[in-house]
Amino acid sequence: MIGGQGGDGTLTVSDLLGRYFRKRGLYVYTSRNVLSRIRGGHADASVRASRDAVAAVKSKVDVLVAFDREAIELGRAELESHGFVLYDSTTFQSDLPNSVGFPFATLVGGPLGAPIFKNTAAYGALSVLLGFDPAMTRSVIEERFKRRGGEALEKNLKALEIGRKAALEAPGVAGRFSVTDGDAHNLILTTGNQAVALGFVVGGGRFFAGYPITPATEIMEYLQRYLPAFHGVVRQAEDELAAVNMIIGASYAGARVMTSTSGPGLSLMTEGIGHAGAAEVPIVIADCQRVGPSTGQPTRHEQSDLSHLANLGHGEFPRFILAPATPDDAFHLTIDALNLADRWRLPVILLLDQALCQNTTTSVRFDGTGARVDRGKRLASDAAERLTQYKVYEATEDGVSPFAPPGTPGLWSEVTGNEHDEWGHVSVNVPNRIRMMRKRMEKMVKARDELPSCRTFGPSSAKIGLIGYGSTSGPIDEVQRTLSNRGVATRYLQARTVYPVPVHEIDPFLASVDVAYVIEHNYTGQFARLLRETMPWHHAKMRSILKYDGHTFRAPDVIAEIREVA
Amino acid sequence: MPAQSAKPVPPIWCPGCGDFSVLAAVKRAAADLKIPVHDLVLVGGIGCSGSIHNFLEVNGIHALHGRLLAQAVGVKLANPALTVVAAGGDGDGYAIGMGHFMHAFKKNASILYIVMNNETYGLTKGQASPTSQLGFEGNVEPPFHSILTALSIPAPNFIARTFSGDPKGMTAILSEALRFNQEGRGFAFVEDLSPCVTYNDTYKLWREKVVDVAKMPNYDPTDRKVMFQLCLEAVEQGRIPIGVFHRPKEVAADGLERKLVPGPDGPARTDIRVEPNYAAYEKLLAGLA
Repeated sequence: MIGGQGGDGTLTVSDLLGRYFRKRGLYVYTSRNVLSRIRGGHADASVRASRDAVAAVKSKVDVLVAFDREAIELGRAELESHGFVLYDSTTFQSDLPNSVGFPFATLVGGPLGAPIFKNTAAYGALSVLLGFDPAMTRSVIEERFKRRGGEALEKNLKALEIGRKAALEAPGVAGRFSVTDGDAHNLILTTGNQAVALGFVVGGGRFFAGYPITPATEIMEYLQRYLPAFHGVVRQAEDELAAVNMIIGASYAGARVMTSTSGPGLSLMTEGIGHAGAAEVPIVIADCQRVGPSTGQPTRHEQSDLSHLANLGHGEFPRFILAPATPDDAFHLTIDALNLADRWRLPVILLLDQALCQNTTTSVRFDGTGARVDRGKRLASDAAERLTQYKVYEATEDGVSPFAPPGTPGLWSEVTGNEHDEWGHVSVNVPNRIRMMRKRMEKMVKARDELPSCRTFGPSSAKIGLIGYGSTSGPIDEVQRTLSNRGVATRYLQARTVYPVPVHEIDPFLASVDVAYVIEHNYTGQFARLLRETMPWHHAKMRSILKYDGHTFRAPDVIAEIREVA
Repeated sequence: MPAQSAKPVPPIWCPGCGDFSVLAAVKRAAADLKIPVHDLVLVGGIGCSGSIHNFLEVNGIHALHGRLLAQAVGVKLANPALTVVAAGGDGDGYAIGMGHFMHAFKKNASILYIVMNNETYGLTKGQASPTSQLGFEGNVEPPFHSILTALSIPAPNFIARTFSGDPKGMTAILSEALRFNQEGRGFAFVEDLSPCVTYNDTYKLWREKVVDVAKMPNYDPTDRKVMFQLCLEAVEQGRIPIGVFHRPKEVAADGLERKLVPGPDGPARTDIRVEPNYAAYEKLLAGLA
């Protein structure tokens, strides 16, 4: 764990460590705990490396790098008994056992002219403490700063040596820990937000509008980099109302579209998502959940938008909600979301969470070879020659009407959020209203077999069930491994379509276990409530494990609540 | 035999409504410019005027209240080859849609926005709107003036005002506005003074008060400062200036869609199938560290 004041460069140290461990063939998971401000205030980051795949924060800290007193206080609570503290002694002293202080800011301030290189010096000292290979340690700095080049690279390399020298001269530091090589090679370090942006590109997404909001903004920033090369357009809108309506307009005109946001923006977009639902315009919304309600805690983790999303908007309209667990899952589900939106002509929501969006993790390389673009019943530009009539809301077996975007020669239509007849004309006719409601709403039933399937982990004979979605799958995986080592079998169901609830998959799962813990980051047990609502016959089997303090689950938190093993 | 597409329905407007003039003028202007029906998109707002797209042969999309400009900009950026007209009322544009209204000038996408201003919320039976005069239905807020506001935003937009009592003048201005859009020069805003014969029948009053701004001394629609002053003076004298208020000197075709979509392949028309793009995707994915 690396802690300091915002601007101290804690995230840089975490990034450097992540790069180093990855070079050693290890799996890496880094999380950050920052405040919603540009500079100042305590911020920390944690880096975990393992020979096994990890996607969760470790329960205790082995090594703490402290740039401020608050980090020391954190260490008091979080350190392992063998834990070691490396701190910047320029302005404070640590009273924790196993502490070694170096005045990093002073050490670099003289020769380099600015104390800001203290973080790289700390990385240098860490590399000695952890017994890093010096050449590889240096190459990480070269990679990290090569883009900035010149002076920045040179000064960081000097800072690295200053830190290394200090640590080598101090007794009891060098080689106190050691790093074993792993065999996880050819992996990438990425985040869920980057995966969603890449999935959007490969899935044929070409129009994105958004409004800056933590923790979703990076999706827009990545797309600003990626999309222009593919004739795509990214617009930063004046607000979320405009963002969602811009993608509605662009989708109606024939583009594949997406917006991304978080709770407060989602509240504003609710109006537009309802419009897309009524008018049957395909859109994809990535919701990067953070702590709510209201402004809540912008930089902290929660999974508390599901109830809102399942019931989102006034009136009733169909929607699909997909929840990826890892960046690789996010890459593929983003492509699925685009296809499903077009195929069924409705809003599809990608339900993400702050940890998935922003934590960096090693991932398999995203593989686009199996990707396909399914535009559903989209009419070709010469459709007018073959049709006798073009009804934009034509009644069909599956409720999906063929669509010709404006500009299709010889065809035009009326698209509206008013209740309408097959031609798109406003209608209050009673049989028509019933027909149109069924046309739209039954999509949620008829699409069942096309929606992404749940994944299960653990032996099917296990009698303790675990249910979750999103990044919670990381800690749950660790829970399963820990319990398995203790001889306790568990089976985890990771829901990837969370709405409509895949009863056909979750019902048999629940039937196969004696008890099922529904593990999620909110106060009211939102997913558990949905499961109880749709499968009341399993009511008594389900128990909630909840966390809503802004931090992700750590494996022991979960194990402590499993009554059969606690 | 060509395929049958949606047919217009009869207008829901009261006989004598100012919006009829706009409907006729839009039809004539589109015909003058020979825009094929399938290439014309009309984005309607909410309110009496916002239903205009139902009454003519066109690609119509009925937007949410106040959000028509955001949808219209989305349409244009996705496929710049389309002619895009947004049309709604004063409540739609200047109350609930005010944020998008202001930004539309700044964005400067080549779309036409027609606001049918009747100084009231007609469809909900005559409440005060942002443009209502003091005293109308107990209104105590001074009326909002769209032309003065539009002139205050330093962007190369086309800005004009018409009067439903002068359909000929309106057609000429709408034609000019659509040409401005076709040339990719940016945003065209036309406010039409469109009396609500049921809740705010201002035909007679407005006929007396309108003044052709082109006939005012020093008229120069390329000079924002002069036009602001002319307009403000007329308003202070209780007159209602109509005509073209801003016709930018620059003829550069740099509407937003031209800046963002340089080629003919906009987001809606580019080939998004995986196969033709695969090499580029591979390169992008291989670049990840």
